[in-house]
Amino acid sequence: MNAGEPRRPDPDALLAEAGKSGRGRLKVLLGMAPGVGKTYQMLQQARRQKAGGVDVAVGLVETHGRPETEALLAGLEVLPRKPIEYHDRTLLEFDLDGALARKPSLLLVDEYAHSNLAGSRHPKRWQDVEELIGAGIDVWTTINVQHLESLVDVVWKITGVRQRETVPDAALTRADDIEVVDITPAELRQRLADGKVYLPTTAQLASDNYFKTENLTALRELALRRAAQTVDQQLLGAMRRAGIEGHWAAGERILVLIGPDATATSLARAGRRLADTMDASWTVAHVERPNRPSPSAAGAAQLAEAIELAQQLGGATVSLTGDDLVGAVLDYAARNHVTQIVIGKPRGGRLREILGASLSSALIRRAGGVALHVVTDATTTGRERRVRTSPRRPDAWRGHVGAAVLVAAAGAVAGLVDRFARGADLAMIFLVSVFASGLAFGLWPAVTAAALAALTYNFFFLEPRLTFYIGHASDLFTFLVFFVVAMTTGWLTGRVRDQERSASRRASAVAALLAASHRLSGAAKQDEAASALVEQLAAATGGRAVVFLPRDGDIAASVASPEMPILTTIDMAAARWAWEKGELAGAGTGTLPNAEWIFHPLQSHRGRTGVAALEPTGLSPEDERFVQALIDQGAVALERAELAVAAVDAEALRRTDRLRAALLNSISHDLRTPLATVLGSVTTLIDYGPSLDPAVRADLLESIREEAERLSRYVGDLLDMTRLEGGALVTRKDWVDVRDVLRAALERIERRRRGRWLATDFPDELTMVPADAGLLEQALVNILENAVAYSGEGSTIEAAAYEDRGNVVISIEDEGRGIPTTELKHVFDKFRRMEEASDKVKGTGLGLAISKGFVEAMGGRIAAASPIHGGRGTRVLVSLPKAIATHDILL
Amino acid sequence: MSEFKPRILVVDDEPQIHRFLRAALDAAGYEPLRADDGASALREIARKPPEAVVLDLGLPDIDGKEVLAKARAFFDGPIIVLSARDRENEKIDALDLGADDYVEKPFGVGELLARLRVAMRHRVLREGGEPIVTAGDLVIDLERRRITRAGEAVRLSPKEYDLLAHLVMGGGRVVTHRQILTAVWGPAHVHDVQYLRVFVGQLRAKIEIDPAQPRLISTEPGIGYRFNA
Repeated sequence: MNAGEPRRPDPDALLAEAGKSGRGRLKVLLGMAPGVGKTYQMLQQARRQKAGGVDVAVGLVETHGRPETEALLAGLEVLPRKPIEYHDRTLLEFDLDGALARKPSLLLVDEYAHSNLAGSRHPKRWQDVEELIGAGIDVWTTINVQHLESLVDVVWKITGVRQRETVPDAALTRADDIEVVDITPAELRQRLADGKVYLPTTAQLASDNYFKTENLTALRELALRRAAQTVDQQLLGAMRRAGIEGHWAAGERILVLIGPDATATSLARAGRRLADTMDASWTVAHVERPNRPSPSAAGAAQLAEAIELAQQLGGATVSLTGDDLVGAVLDYAARNHVTQIVIGKPRGGRLREILGASLSSALIRRAGGVALHVVTDATTTGRERRVRTSPRRPDAWRGHVGAAVLVAAAGAVAGLVDRFARGADLAMIFLVSVFASGLAFGLWPAVTAAALAALTYNFFFLEPRLTFYIGHASDLFTFLVFFVVAMTTGWLTGRVRDQERSASRRASAVAALLAASHRLSGAAKQDEAASALVEQLAAATGGRAVVFLPRDGDIAASVASPEMPILTTIDMAAARWAWEKGELAGAGTGTLPNAEWIFHPLQSHRGRTGVAALEPTGLSPEDERFVQALIDQGAVALERAELAVAAVDAEALRRTDRLRAALLNSISHDLRTPLATVLGSVTTLIDYGPSLDPAVRADLLESIREEAERLSRYVGDLLDMTRLEGGALVTRKDWVDVRDVLRAALERIERRRRGRWLATDFPDELTMVPADAGLLEQALVNILENAVAYSGEGSTIEAAAYEDRGNVVISIEDEGRGIPTTELKHVFDKFRRMEEASDKVKGTGLGLAISKGFVEAMGGRIAAASPIHGGRGTRVLVSLPKAIATHDILL
Repeated sequence: MSEFKPRILVVDDEPQIHRFLRAALDAAGYEPLRADDGASALREIARKPPEAVVLDLGLPDIDGKEVLAKARAFFDGPIIVLSARDRENEKIDALDLGADDYVEKPFGVGELLARLRVAMRHRVLREGGEPIVTAGDLVIDLERRRITRAGEAVRLSPKEYDLLAHLVMGGGRVVTHRQILTAVWGPAHVHDVQYLRVFVGQLRAKIEIDPAQPRLISTEPGIGYRFNA
């Protein structure tokens, strides 16, 4: 940072603090060994808190029957434990849900490092505590220093006891307060001697050794140092938040290099320790070499374990790629300003070391300005055998058979040659078969071939024949040549093949990802994207896959491949966990590991789009990465689909808005034009009246009347519509002859027919129908006006009435252009006007909607048909039910 | 030989509008011409340019603004735009495109004819070129860049003067914010209407008799200002 620049609070530090608010506080009482009195101390402090009015509850405290500890429990609220069935026994475990439901402000939970029984929500108690804190509950807990993940090796070296129950260091660092419960080693030994320390039986055996004064001193130092470190870090954090320039080391960065072997986990721990003492960030890296055979299953597992451990310990992890291991590491180191590199002791043995091929010497030669730490690891010293690599391929026996066949063929040829050309060097023929075996089948079949060739050659062709006796020392040399040739060709072939295989695997992985991404990106809809994703996932894992999509505030299994499985409640709980927390859950994870599936949250940039569930099938790291890539792509594809849906909705809304704007526009135009005419004509008459020609004056007055009428019609339409919409329409039914009403409507339209001919076709007799004459007339006028508007001058509009079974039907036909089929169903909608009318149409677009409303209010129906003759014309039918003796008619 | 009658082209698609405007224009001593759509209006203007055009912005074939822009390529005479009250932007656009003034529908013919006269007088003034404008006791000498009120010099800052001169040269027409800002502050400031508010306020304080009730510079809300000589 520039010297002149004012110190600003570090945003990351502020964010970390912000993430904490709303969370409970965690206090950890840290001890060096069992028996220092952590629980006692915790209870004493809790009593003081309770006395001070704090809502304290004891979630779980192990008193181990010590009376003085039990006495402290008196008066504190102890939450009931939860019975858990375990191997035919019922054990009482901490009840996490009970504690969450009780929600005290302070909860005591002993034994931070405890492992929960199978079937609990989390495998470890520290995860329970994490959830409690997340729920806003303050938690106090206890732990001994030996349980800290990064110190396991150290403690083991001190005491010879390896701790199985561990807590990631981050779980301690996260604590808001750390309190060391400290007594001197001598005091502790005294308490032990007095029988005041409870120890489990297994520990009892080792207790003499464990509680040696020098061990306790070392452990005490560890505990104090760790507490001091954590306090330091917190102080540092506070300083950073406050923007105080501290003394923290100018960006020490540690790179821990691990490989697929047993040292990997120890190296990760070593990295964490170094990072702690240097207050540096640290990264665990492993280098993948595409042209080398991939690591054995055991090696890969160790690698994966170490990577997971590193993440638990709070380190970053990275996977580098490159054939030049040293080059790849140094390149990464340079780009990321790494100052410290940690590697394991070279495994190549002294020979490789001398040859200068070991990693450390290569790094020393090529790394400039970087400190190199070489960690020797206890687990690999001595006689510990490396796990045998090179798993047998399933078809390995074929190679050996092939080699035998080749050798047999060589034997046959040699026999023939021997018969016809005595004295020829038959060894060469066998050599060819060995060489061919090496080329064709690789190393081990070539060795088999060499052995068989040596035996055959010896038995059949070397004097004395038909014995395995070796007459000459030079023959031994021949056999040696067989083996050397076998090894060389076999090894070379094997290498070429491995490279080929790894290249093709890589190519196929890339191709598969490409294909998957094509499919995913091609999916426009959410369910398409989801089904593409499950199919790809199922294919990639060789197991089943399910995708959960959000539905009504929850998630539901939406698509599965190959078929929808039956999911247990635990599975659903894990799915919800993954959805709500955005964390991996289910089988093999830290949350609900008893579930049968692994649940991956589908996380995209803007949020979660769903959850993908996979059956746990042992995947190679490569496949794992592929699956992760698929999941990432799937999440993005789902998000895109969601956005696409939103965009369609928005477009629909925009169209409605546009439509509404257009309608408002046309209505305002319809109202304004007559007003403009009236106002303009009136002002003309006022200003120039006396000087105007009488004919002009009359014309202006006529225009005023017409426009005022037009205005009145619009207002009437709008009022009718408002009445219909507001439910304020009252129908006064009476016996009506529709012919009369139709005639009245035609009368009203007469002056506005603008050159259209009006024709009627009525029967002599027509049953009367119960209807509201006023409403019916208005409905018919609107239909007639529409017919006028949409037909041409000189055309005929025909109105007819007839009886059809139980109805009286009124038909109004025009000879206009007709209505397109797509528009037909909308003609009775409000504000519907056809785009281009044959004549200039002046209406509110409400006419037919009002007709429909009125007709239906009278119990009738209205329909439109178009085209009616020769591709032209529209017919509107209004049908009214004949008198059915209903009450309101009889009355 | 009949007396000279200025020819006014009315462009509107509503026959009722033509009906009363023809009567009014005729009675007021103009010769009304009629066009029912944009294309025939442009043809008419090109064939024999009228003295002024009254143009409705809502035409069936071409948008009124387009007619305006096209007409301005070959017609320099006054164009009064008829527009709806709810189309503020349309008015501003039309003025920016070169319309001389606008009248909102519905309107009284008196108002339209008054606007028409102002626009036509302004053309005469601009072509004849009288450099001294008087408004009450205020005298603006555009040639000498000097302002006096009742014989006393009024001191204006250069920007205030430019602003006033621009409004005065509008000759009673509305001048849009955009037009003023472009002319006085430059094209980079076309959106800085707040400058304009401040300067108009200062200008009114110096030249208006009662700055709280300005009569010389009137505000057309959301559109621009008008200098009433």
